[in-house]
Amino acid sequence: MVRTFGELLERYERELFAYALRLSADRDEADDLYQDTFLAAFRAWPPPRSGNERAWLYRIATNKAIDRSRRTRPRVKLEDIELAAPERDSATTLDVARAVELLPPGQRAAFVLRQVQGLPYAEIAETLGCSEVAARARVSEATKVVRRRIA
Amino acid sequence: MTLDTLIAEARSRLLARARREGLADVGYAVVESPLGPLWIAVGPRGVAVISYGGAPNAADLGRLVRTYGPGIVPDARRTAAVARELDQYFSGRRRSFDVAFDLSGLTPFQQGVLRATARVRYGDLATYRTVAQRAGNAAAARAAGAAVGANPIPIVVPCHRVVASDGSLGGYAGGLDAKRRLLAIERGDDVPTGGWLRSGDP
Repeated sequence: MVRTFGELLERYERELFAYALRLSADRDEADDLYQDTFLAAFRAWPPPRSGNERAWLYRIATNKAIDRSRRTRPRVKLEDIELAAPERDSATTLDVARAVELLPPGQRAAFVLRQVQGLPYAEIAETLGCSEVAARARVSEATKVVRRRIA
Repeated sequence: MTLDTLIAEARSRLLARARREGLADVGYAVVESPLGPLWIAVGPRGVAVISYGGAPNAADLGRLVRTYGPGIVPDARRTAAVARELDQYFSGRRRSFDVAFDLSGLTPFQQGVLRATARVRYGDLATYRTVAQRAGNAAAARAAGAAVGANPIPIVVPCHRVVASDGSLGGYAGGLDAKRRLLAIERGDDVPTGGWLRSGDP
C-alpha cells in the first residue's frame, strides 16, 4: 500500500511519464500531462481503493488527455514516441505512431494501455471506467484500426 | 536527452507546484555515508528522520505520515544542509550539528529522553540511567533505553554516546559496528579494554 506521495511517484512516475509521451503531441505536452496527473492525485488523496493506485493514475491521465484533445488536435512527435520505446524497430515505431496518432482519444488510450503499456484488461477497464468486456472490445477495435493502417 | 532526464525535470516542476499548494511538507533523499546509505527526511521544523539502510523503517515513516500527512516527497534540496553537516562530521571537521531536529509525534517522555541525549557532548558518554535522570525520571532507565533505541534521528541526536551502566556498548539501530565507528571518530580509540566508560564519564 502506498502511504506517501513520494512512494506513489517512485513506483509509478516512469511508466506514467512514458504513457503521457504516447498520448501527447510532444515532450512539453507530456510534461504537463504528467504534472497535472500527479498533482490531481495528490489533491484527491487517498487513492479510491488500496492497492489499485496504478489504475487510478492511468484513469486520471487518460481523462486529462481526452479533455485536452477535445480542445486541440494532437500530433505525435515521432522522436518522442521512440524515446519512450527505444527498443523497438524504428520503421515499425514510425508506422505505428502515425496510425495511433489518427485514432480518436478514447481508442488511442485503449490501444496504448494494452499494446504499449501492457496493462491487464481489469486495470484497463478501471482506467477507462467500463466493463472488462467493453475494455477488450475497445482494445480489439483500436488494434484492428491500427493494423489496417500499417498494413 | 534521456527519458530519465525528462522525468527528473518534470518531477522538479511538479514538486515546485505541490510545494506552492502546501502539498509537500516533507522532503527526503538517500545520501551515502561511511556507514552505508542513509534515508533522510526534513520537515518544516527540521530533520525528522535519519534511517540506516537507505529506506525508512515502518515506525518512522508512520510517525511522519501521522504528523505531516502524505505530502512526503523526494527532494534533495531539502536534505542538502543536513547532508553537508553529516559529511563534515564523518570527516572529523564538525563536532556539533547546526540543523534543527524535529521530534514531533513522539511522546513527551521520548522527547525528553532524546533532548537529554542531544545534550551529551561530542566524545562524551552517558548511560541509559543518566539520560533517564536528566529527562526527569531516574527510575525509568529501561524505558529511557527503549526511547534511545527508537531514536528516529541517529547521529544528529547522538544516541551512540549512550551506553549501558556496566560499560558495555548497549545496542544500536545501525548495528554495533556503526556505534563503534562513530565513537572511534569522536574518541579516536577502538573498543577499550574494560568497557566503554572511562573514569570521569557520567
